[in-house]
Amino acid sequence: MYRLRLPPWLVLLTPAFVVLLMVIAIPLVLSFYSSFTAFQLTRPETITRWNGSFNYKKALSDVYFWSAFGRTLLLVTVALNLEMLLGLGLALMVAKVTRGQRLLRTMMMFPMMFSPILVGFQFKFIFNDNVGLLNNALQSLGLTDIAIPWLVDGHLAFIAIVTAEVWTSTSVFAILILAGLFAIPQDPVEAARVDGCTPWQTFRYVTLPFLMPFIYIAMAIRSLDVARAYDIVQVMTAGGPARRTELLWTLIGRTGYVDARMGYANAMGYIAILLSIVFTVYFFRKLTTARTSLGMGD
Amino acid sequence: MKTFTASSALALLAGLGLASAALADGEFAGITIDAKLIGGQQYEALYARIAEWEAKTGAKVNIVSQKNHFELDKEFKADIASGSITWCVGSNHSSFASQYPALYTDLTPLLPAETVAGFVGANIAAATLDGKLVMLPRAQFDVSALYYQKSLYADPAKAEAFKAEYGYDLAVPETWDQVRDQAVFFSDPPNFYGTQYAGKEEGITGRFYELVVANGGVMFNDDFSPGFNSDAGKQSLQWFVDLYKAGAVPPGTTNYLWDDLGNGFASGTIALNLDWPGWSGFFNDPAASKASGNVGVAPAPKGAAGVRTGWSGFHGFSVTEACANKEAAASLVDFLTNEESQILESSAGPLPTRTAVWDKVIADAAADPYKAEVLAAFQETAKTAFPVPKTPYWIEATNLIYPELQAAILGDKTVDEALQSASDAVDGLMRENGVY
Repeated sequence: MYRLRLPPWLVLLTPAFVVLLMVIAIPLVLSFYSSFTAFQLTRPETITRWNGSFNYKKALSDVYFWSAFGRTLLLVTVALNLEMLLGLGLALMVAKVTRGQRLLRTMMMFPMMFSPILVGFQFKFIFNDNVGLLNNALQSLGLTDIAIPWLVDGHLAFIAIVTAEVWTSTSVFAILILAGLFAIPQDPVEAARVDGCTPWQTFRYVTLPFLMPFIYIAMAIRSLDVARAYDIVQVMTAGGPARRTELLWTLIGRTGYVDARMGYANAMGYIAILLSIVFTVYFFRKLTTARTSLGMGD
Repeated sequence: MKTFTASSALALLAGLGLASAALADGEFAGITIDAKLIGGQQYEALYARIAEWEAKTGAKVNIVSQKNHFELDKEFKADIASGSITWCVGSNHSSFASQYPALYTDLTPLLPAETVAGFVGANIAAATLDGKLVMLPRAQFDVSALYYQKSLYADPAKAEAFKAEYGYDLAVPETWDQVRDQAVFFSDPPNFYGTQYAGKEEGITGRFYELVVANGGVMFNDDFSPGFNSDAGKQSLQWFVDLYKAGAVPPGTTNYLWDDLGNGFASGTIALNLDWPGWSGFFNDPAASKASGNVGVAPAPKGAAGVRTGWSGFHGFSVTEACANKEAAASLVDFLTNEESQILESSAGPLPTRTAVWDKVIADAAADPYKAEVLAAFQETAKTAFPVPKTPYWIEATNLIYPELQAAILGDKTVDEALQSASDAVDGLMRENGVY
């Protein structure tokens, strides 16, 4: 009797393929398929109601979708740059500490340990116009006699959201950059000092180039995070008021789970993923360039 | 169903003075009922009674999920989508119920007519969708009445100044125009505001809806096309805009939902507050509220059409169509909404949905002037209360409407522009779903 003999490498890899298929490929294919249907969560039979590119055309012609797209892009840009600068400063300072550094490193990670939902509630309370900590402090100090509408004005609400994002995730940059600082060979740094470089020149031309691969890795990770920002914003403003803080995933989340229009939400999701892909490709290219300039590239 | 014979119900009525359905000993022995129930401290007292039902019937109740209604709503939708409705009893809400047309079974054949007749007729009507009684209401009936700070109406200087400015006597408002005048008059931002309103999601759309009705308009026409882009609609939205522009509401009100509003009034910085009955105890609790001892409650004011605002809703329990033991599940639902259960729940403040329990709580409150005032105000408002429009697209429509209402309130759009945009969006939604 003929017996199928699979090559050993395939037999060994099969469980991994099956798991990947179950947890990644099937949901991806199903969600991609449903983005071409009128699928509504509350009406399972609608998953077979094919409507072609209707959902994509609707999303691409929706001004509110594009404004959410633009706002998400702005949030990624502002939050990432601020987190990088603050994280770099924090890492440089912590690297100088000789006693208690381990404790400081642990403390630095505290914000990352909070659930984003909790962070959202915390900053929602801080920025509340009537009973919030910030307005009460400003009024008590005599700096203002009005209730500043932090979470209502579009610009102020954006600042409030960026503040919450930066508070919770700056330590991601700090930890990764700190790891980079520990990995820097001391010879070039000492050579620069011997050659008479100022501390700024040593940092700018020796330390920073060594740190850039670490910074780009942190950028790539956080760009994916911020491009998917949902929980903090949902709690603080839910994308409002009047869509002033609407981000891609608050819009998509509401469309999919509250309005139950999963087909349309998936179509918007697939367009939104382009943003993440663009950022990831960009940062990996920068990473490769940085590594090449250090002689670490292929 | 044999459990609910008229004679057994009457026997229990005679014995306990309560219209609780009879339960036969060990009738559902060996059966396990999986339930997804609304969670929260205020609901635990009722759930503690489940053990009594288990002991009597021999069945077991397995609570597989306990979340707030918004989270349950998402979970139910995911269950429907994945075809995993493996549970029997679910918490329901009149505002959400129409979204799940096939999820819940008709309770009418599972319950005796006397049981259903014990509920307030308007509540049963609101719990009936397409002829199906999809839930039994629990003692969590919600309609809003007007809470106010009594001291504001006892100050002769204020009364004189108000009359000089507005030409009529300062008294607890009976119309929404009077609320607007008084809110502007009382305001002294940022320390004190005349009023406040829910500013987002279903909260503001619901408030807008009830004002449209009070002003003589409709939210939807008979064919469910949008009807709010009308004179009544414009007049209603203008009310919200006027208050915001005048600084008579906190500037963050467009981000507020119920907890923000309740805590705001309890902070003593709000003069007039249209709010739900569940807050009545909290507002008058000296440990929780700076307004305690100074809280008055009046029926919801009237709009231009002489109609009170009265957007109402209630919690209930439903039985799934997929449930294998519908009789046992219906028995549990009946038990959780019977007179004993409703007396237990309403003793903590929430309003009942059974006629006999209404009578009892009003009689019990006779010795407590504040509680009597609260109940009188809510009972008066409940007489003309109305549920949300019975369309499965209500929640989705509210999500299209509220950003436009906010845009008008914040000055991003005119009232006409905002209502036109909202109307167009809802019209598109209805057409896309083949409603007309």
